Amino acid sequence: MREISYESWEPVIGLEIHVQLNTKSKLFSSAPNRFGDEPNTNIGIVDTGQPGSLPVLNKEAVHKAVQLGCALGAQVALSSRFDRKSYFYPDSPRNFQITQFDAPIIVGGSVVAEVGGTTRHFAVHHAHLEDDAGMLKHFSTFAGVDYNRAGVPLIEIVSEPCMHSPKEASAYAMAVKAIMQYIDASDCNMEEGSLRIDVNVSVRKIGERKLRKKIEIKNLNSFHYMELAIEAEVRRQIQLYSAHPHEDPANVLKSGTYRFDVEKKETFLMREKEEAEDYRYFPEPDLPPISLTKEEIERVRSSLPELPHQRFKRYVTEYLLPVGSASLLINEKRLADYFEEALAVCNNPKNVCNWVTVEFIGRFRDRGNLLDSGILASHIGKLVQLIDKGTITGKIAKSVADEMFSHPGKDPEQIVRDNSDYQPIRDTSSIEPLVDEVLAANPQSVADFKAGKGRAFDYLVGQVMKLCKGKASPSIVNELLTKKLL
Amino acid sequence: VAVKDNIHVQGEISTCGSRFLKSYRAPFDATVIRLLEAEDALIIGKTNMDEFAMGSSTENSAWHLTKNPWDLRCSPGGSSGGSAAAVAARLCPISLGSDTGGSIRQPASLCGIVGFKPTYGRVSRYGLVAFASSLDQIGPFTHNVADNALMMEILGRHCPLDSTSSSAPPGDYLKTMQKEIRGMTIGVPWHFLEQLQSEPRAIFCQAIETCKNLGANIVDIRLDLLKYSVAIYYILATAEASTNLARFDGVRYGKRSSRAATLDEIYDFSKQEGFGPEVKRRILLGTFVLSAGFQDAFYKKAQKVRSLVIQQFKEAFGSCQIVAMPTSPMTTFPLGEIKDPLQMYLQDIFTIGANMAGLPAISVPCGFSADHLPFGLQLIAPQMQDATVYQFAHAFEKAIGFSHRIPPLFDDEVRL
Repeated sequence: MREISYESWEPVIGLEIHVQLNTKSKLFSSAPNRFGDEPNTNIGIVDTGQPGSLPVLNKEAVHKAVQLGCALGAQVALSSRFDRKSYFYPDSPRNFQITQFDAPIIVGGSVVAEVGGTTRHFAVHHAHLEDDAGMLKHFSTFAGVDYNRAGVPLIEIVSEPCMHSPKEASAYAMAVKAIMQYIDASDCNMEEGSLRIDVNVSVRKIGERKLRKKIEIKNLNSFHYMELAIEAEVRRQIQLYSAHPHEDPANVLKSGTYRFDVEKKETFLMREKEEAEDYRYFPEPDLPPISLTKEEIERVRSSLPELPHQRFKRYVTEYLLPVGSASLLINEKRLADYFEEALAVCNNPKNVCNWVTVEFIGRFRDRGNLLDSGILASHIGKLVQLIDKGTITGKIAKSVADEMFSHPGKDPEQIVRDNSDYQPIRDTSSIEPLVDEVLAANPQSVADFKAGKGRAFDYLVGQVMKLCKGKASPSIVNELLTKKLL
Repeated sequence: VAVKDNIHVQGEISTCGSRFLKSYRAPFDATVIRLLEAEDALIIGKTNMDEFAMGSSTENSAWHLTKNPWDLRCSPGGSSGGSAAAVAARLCPISLGSDTGGSIRQPASLCGIVGFKPTYGRVSRYGLVAFASSLDQIGPFTHNVADNALMMEILGRHCPLDSTSSSAPPGDYLKTMQKEIRGMTIGVPWHFLEQLQSEPRAIFCQAIETCKNLGANIVDIRLDLLKYSVAIYYILATAEASTNLARFDGVRYGKRSSRAATLDEIYDFSKQEGFGPEVKRRILLGTFVLSAGFQDAFYKKAQKVRSLVIQQFKEAFGSCQIVAMPTSPMTTFPLGEIKDPLQMYLQDIFTIGANMAGLPAISVPCGFSADHLPFGLQLIAPQMQDATVYQFAHAFEKAIGFSHRIPPLFDDEVRL
């Protein structure tokens, strides 16, 4: 992968990632934590801020936070607490959010991610628990509020400003997403808003130690757009500084909150930071501090599932998968699980990986996705097995795959059985004339082979396959050619 | 049982003494109501109060004036003035109040009845409309100490819906209170009481004499930090209140101004029309003390002083089992007489300390002024020592018998 050059400039990027936890109930109430229901059905007295209601902390959310802390190798606080963050907005049922401002549950730690073939550790500043707000819905003559989302547990993971390219930022974000999925703390569905990213971007001259003014880009809902947005913002800032070389850098950039315009591929100012909001944080008196013991934390640590970077290592060292494919697989836990399910049927990691990541994912490039398609992992395993056993050729396998794609759930063995075209020609008498024809037509290649050029053999095999439209059994073609050339 | 109007009874209106909640029906029962009803208590009605419990005379109610049964020209105290007056006038034997800075004890003192503020966390706040969450406690008003102790055996049960609720079971108050106080030690912060006027002082000293006669030792203790208690109370309580009351915005329930056409107008006009002047004053004060640039000088400094007050109480309890003070600086006062808010705030000078430190405290009738107005003795014990409070209060009550005194206007025997 080629890194984009910014000449003498260095981007500095920090990410704040909000992830909704997949707990059964909300962070401070027993209302269900569920997406997509009728508006204002998953609500209770706490979620609508009724007077006299009190928050009660969800233990499952704390457990998932501790898991995350351990997965990041962070310090999990033995005592952390909640604060009130005051602001008026109709989607906020109490007009204050309950968050962790001073004493977060997770301090430090790092995220391991692959960037351009190297393993990188990105530092996390802290992560804290807080409750989500409701959602405003605008109609033609009025606006309504849906409080179903109000009170959904969020964990906000705040990185250090330690990333220096859009690629690094997206590698970090994808790794965070993967970790949350591996510890089963979130579905991280970006379309449904269960993973939301705010990016802080500044640039400085290479060698400069101090950070320059930063801006924040909010509401990015895909990793791809995040990369584009950072790229556009970095370019904008470099241009701005370059256009004002003699001015104090502090006066050049207006810090504030920006949005990314997907059409124009530009960032634009949403609101300036100068009138900084005062959230009047102070300790939440309705909740005692979260107290954890070292033993509790150790128990969670020792029962952590395999984490993405551990799986990556396994794929690269044990399965000898290419780094790019291994990254692709591990970044989406369901995909890696799918891959391993196929592997259980056909223990040929390299080929299975290739069929999953190239052939099958490739067929979904334009729409849909493999994991939700109904194509069984075990069927992909079977398909690769059919190739490995020489039952079908690679070329036929692609046609079989096409049929698996158009008829999800159809067993490749059945597909092959049902279609005589997919059954390779194993009959020597019908292959032999083709071999003879190829040998006669390619005297130069025959000579090359005899002179010791192995590649000439492969060429001849290819020619035979071409003649038979890929239907001859490769093992028999090999056999015949070898016999005739010696 | 009569219930202060900031405690939810499902399906009934909880106005909290505010126009804002004129027609707000409680969607659920407060834990205290659930506990009482499980014991077959009869809830007979809701009682008047200062708006959102902010006041010491019940004059800040948006609805009615409540009068003191001992003298109808006078205030019953506040903010739980309705609950205190109802029990004093024998309209019911028991009522519930809430106490954030003295709102149970001061009206109990001014109405000549027993009022108890439990250890913070002893009684669930679930269903109590919050004023200052770290100070609020629900507690009972009764005619005598025994009734009060019995009530607390029910009200003091653990509640999982309030995260600050104590998991330890309530004490065996009725049994413990029977123990005598001979040989036990009462601490009196004499230095802090120097400003007391002569009549209340004389009544208080007489009460201490009574304790001596019961065999208690009296020691002088230092609680001079309490002189800051009113100042820090009006920082901490208003800070919490400014956020607790932020939910009253006209969006989801309660008052929504009919003049409002935009979101900002809903916020502005609904509060303007829904809140009274004292509530507005405290929201503004609380918002100010939490603001960037002022938080260190006010809110954070007040928190530090609160820690010191807690510390000073701890030290004081090193040399005594209970602290005795007057409940209020004086007997009741004519309605409309105290117009300066700061003067009104001083009503709570002796009671706020127990809220700051989360201590159990009671007011028991201990004497009458020359014009026959009642006056209360306040007894404060260490945290979770609610039983000790009842023990001293019961011994004292038995010795003087003022708890049987009924306001003449409401005494059937006097009237007949």
